[in-house]
Amino acid sequence: MLRHRSKLMGQINGMLMFLPYLVVLVMFAIVPIVMAFRVSLGPSRLYPEGGFGNYLFVFEDFRFLSAVGNVSLFLLIYLPAMLIVVAVLSLLLDTVQMKYTLPLRLAYLVPAGISGSVAILVWYFMLEPTYSPFAGIFAEIGLTEGVQIFNTTNLVYIFAIMAFFTGAGNWIVIQYGSLQSIPQDILEAARMDGANVFQQAFLIKLPLIRKYLVYMLILVFASGLQIFVEPYLISSSVYPGLAKDWSLNQLSYTLAFTGSNLGAAMALSMVMLLVSVIVALVIIYRTDFFDEARGKMKEKTIG
Amino acid sequence: MGKSLTARKRPQRVPLTKVKAVSGKAVAWFIMILFAVFSVIPMLWLILAPSKTQVELQRSAPLSFGSFQGYSDAWNNLMVFQDGRIVDWIINSIWYTGVQVLVACTIAILAGYALSATRLPLRKTMLIATLVAMIVPQVAFVLPLFVEISALGIYNTAWAIILPGTFYPFGVFLSYIYFSTTIPSELYEAAKIDGCGDWGTFFRVAVPLSGGLIGMLAFFSFQVNWINFFLPFVVVSSGDVLTLPVGLGILFSSTPALSPQVGANALPIRAPEIALAGMLVAIPILIVFLFSARLLVRGVLAGSVKG
Amino acid sequence: MNRKLIGAAVVMSGVLLLSACAGGGTTSSETGEGVDEVASGPRTLLLYVDPVREPAALAYKASVEGEIDVTVEVLGQEEILAKVALANQTGQGWPDVTFNPSNNVGVFQDPLNGYALNLDEYVDSAIIEGYNGSGDWCLIDGSYYCLKNDLAQTVLWYDTVIFDELGLTVPTTMEEFAATAMKLKGTGYVAGAIGDQGYYAGYLWPSGCPISQVLDQETVRINPDAVECTRVIELVQPLVDAGVLDSRGSFDAGFLEDVARQQKVAMNIGPSWWGQFVIRPEDSWAIPAGRIAAAEMPLWSGETTNWSGEWGGGVWVGNSHAPNPQDVADAIVFLATDPDMRADKVTFPGYKPAFEAWSATIATDPYYVGDVTAAMVAQVPKIRQDERPARFDSRGQLGVLSTEIQGSGDIDAATRKFMEGLAELAAGAGYTVVK
Repeated sequence: MLRHRSKLMGQINGMLMFLPYLVVLVMFAIVPIVMAFRVSLGPSRLYPEGGFGNYLFVFEDFRFLSAVGNVSLFLLIYLPAMLIVVAVLSLLLDTVQMKYTLPLRLAYLVPAGISGSVAILVWYFMLEPTYSPFAGIFAEIGLTEGVQIFNTTNLVYIFAIMAFFTGAGNWIVIQYGSLQSIPQDILEAARMDGANVFQQAFLIKLPLIRKYLVYMLILVFASGLQIFVEPYLISSSVYPGLAKDWSLNQLSYTLAFTGSNLGAAMALSMVMLLVSVIVALVIIYRTDFFDEARGKMKEKTIG
Repeated sequence: MGKSLTARKRPQRVPLTKVKAVSGKAVAWFIMILFAVFSVIPMLWLILAPSKTQVELQRSAPLSFGSFQGYSDAWNNLMVFQDGRIVDWIINSIWYTGVQVLVACTIAILAGYALSATRLPLRKTMLIATLVAMIVPQVAFVLPLFVEISALGIYNTAWAIILPGTFYPFGVFLSYIYFSTTIPSELYEAAKIDGCGDWGTFFRVAVPLSGGLIGMLAFFSFQVNWINFFLPFVVVSSGDVLTLPVGLGILFSSTPALSPQVGANALPIRAPEIALAGMLVAIPILIVFLFSARLLVRGVLAGSVKG
Repeated sequence: MNRKLIGAAVVMSGVLLLSACAGGGTTSSETGEGVDEVASGPRTLLLYVDPVREPAALAYKASVEGEIDVTVEVLGQEEILAKVALANQTGQGWPDVTFNPSNNVGVFQDPLNGYALNLDEYVDSAIIEGYNGSGDWCLIDGSYYCLKNDLAQTVLWYDTVIFDELGLTVPTTMEEFAATAMKLKGTGYVAGAIGDQGYYAGYLWPSGCPISQVLDQETVRINPDAVECTRVIELVQPLVDAGVLDSRGSFDAGFLEDVARQQKVAMNIGPSWWGQFVIRPEDSWAIPAGRIAAAEMPLWSGETTNWSGEWGGGVWVGNSHAPNPQDVADAIVFLATDPDMRADKVTFPGYKPAFEAWSATIATDPYYVGDVTAAMVAQVPKIRQDERPARFDSRGQLGVLSTEIQGSGDIDAATRKFMEGLAELAAGAGYTVVK
């Protein structure tokens, strides 16, 4: 009787503690999705009866394919760059004694403040030859005009650089932290076997942090897919129209607020959300990354 | 490598492996330092830019220092925009982010503890939902959130920005991991033996030991909420309710600094002024980051898998 | 204990119910709420302007001090459409008076949008007559939905010093213009920059190229193959290739440094505000006094009128949801036409009395050579009327056009891409696109 009552108390206490989060989860994750889905099936000018016409409208929109292309190309440059640089630099950091790495790690964290609107500000000045500290280097390769750098073909690279610059240092420090949790005995054994510092790094440590790198790539992919701020701001100020409707989120915004078509905008948001959720579920269920986390869950419920 | 006195007369032959090791290390250091330099230069530029005038920015060396007067001039010019609108933006950013961090972390710690140490029903589902929400960034929800916020009638208020920022699945996940792995089960047992219920255990055992966790939660939450652009941009339209990052965007398109077509004689806001505004956005994050650097080193992710 | 469970369940179901009720399209809540409900409470007005118009807005605010509580917000021109759309969606928060790029009135007049206030009842017909027809851009479906802030008719600006130096005569036809421009080849002088809105306003529009000729509420004429378009491309491309038309924009930092501020612009087709806003200011081209003059637009062969287009020319639009529409209309009239306020502004007022005040200063200004307003006045009735406000955002595509020209210098490809985009937008807005 007592045990049954304490079990119930445990459940209720658990629910009470969890309740604020549940409320927020429902209010700001689930409800918006439900509402947006309903709007996406709602009436619009060309499809007054609603239905999936809005989705068709999006897929047929003349800007949709190029936005998909832009974002895909952006991710294709950005993700591998992140993977390689973050892996290499965190491993290199780990080959050196920790106290020497502190100033380096602090330096790598510095760019994290330069994100979003500040990123456009700083990178405009970094790349515009009239202002740039790198103007000399640009001149060497024949780039003397702003339009040579800021044009439609270069946009993918510019945004990739911005995103990379803001995110890489942060992740290098995080992965470096993960490297610290590698048991010393494994490394000792490798050293005994004659592996030098670099062999240890790339043959032993790298596979061990593979999971964390994959997790990083997933997060970077999910946020990269949603890119909006940088292309929007650069097109609304210094180079008007340069990156107009360049990314999928920009297209969604344009459809909603200048195209008077909220239905189509929500349709596009739904599609993008679906892609992100599918990727998330694949990672959770098909890889072993979260298995231990879910496994722990099993132990606890039995106990 | 044995060295005898006689060997000194002949030139020493350094073994190839040692050469490789030394030059390998040199290359490694070179790469690390190069990346560090590139990381720091833009921020350095940003900090030095407001000290110069517009003309100096274009003519003198990019990393040169102008004068301290430059900062106050830039600030005064910024204040001209809509009669000191920038002060509104700063105050808003500070208190919105403050409330968000406070509420989000509290909610996350409670929920994470509930997931890890109580008999919460449907835990597995909740955890999966949290994992999915962790991976999908808030940006994906912004337009749907707009629909909801306008339906709720809080459009164009501070709450339209603050409330969605209290949803912090990553924080829930982190605290779930923390409470499951870092706090030894013996402590929970001891508390139960002493007669503490779930709440007692939470306040007497879990919270006192979660200094590191709270630091990490606050750190990530602050970073994400301070810099947020898309959500405030969409759900708020009055300038005096907006935050600093969005205000910076307004300055881009409304002032000659980055939009020469706006008109050279409209406002005294040029590159130095806008750099100062950018500094105000970037510096708080920088400060928070630098102070929390050691938290990151301890390994944010390590606890979530075999550790 | 159970009560807490039930409480939680109630909260959750309440939330789900909320989402069920409130989903889908615009909400049912109507007019502007809050303090300005009906006749009670103080009269308020919310103004959205761009930075150039902020002084005017503040002047208005001062003039109604004590009677009407005026709030002024400054935004970039690109954002106004979105802000109004946001207000439409949420059913509240509409700005009462907005300064807009000219096409916005087409978007706002669209019944599905419903923002634009019909000014017929609230604005004295004398005001409309004062525009002498030049305000008819705002005449849609038989009513006036905006007042023109200024006319931005294109004229031919030229530098008399350079012309004297090279022995050039002012061109009166487009062929002469092209020939004169070609004579600049190799001299280091240029005939302007083409990688900006000037191409659309000064070349395509005056030529009659059907860019968005809105014929009625169902049809719009967009045809990149029309001879009025191809002749422009054929004229401009060789000039760009020869380097006498710069493919950058007139506001590009590089163009400013290397060309404009070096006094290398011999002539360029530009709007009426070009002199005061671009050529003259210290921070801009900073051309010294006594050089710049303006002539009428060159004539395209086969045309009887030397048409102008407009580069910009903003419009003031009012809020149809405002509880005090007369106040809204009065504000618009003040901002668009008040002579004292307009006298020292950079733009050419469309309303005759205001224009007279403006031209009194400019016509005799010793900075210019001769009376530049003469050409401007001559061009006022010659603003080609084929282009009309459209209910899709045509102006947004202009940036794409400029970007293409700056990037490739291929005028044909850029023009086609621009117009094809407009055709798509038109179709998306429910128009039938005809050639």
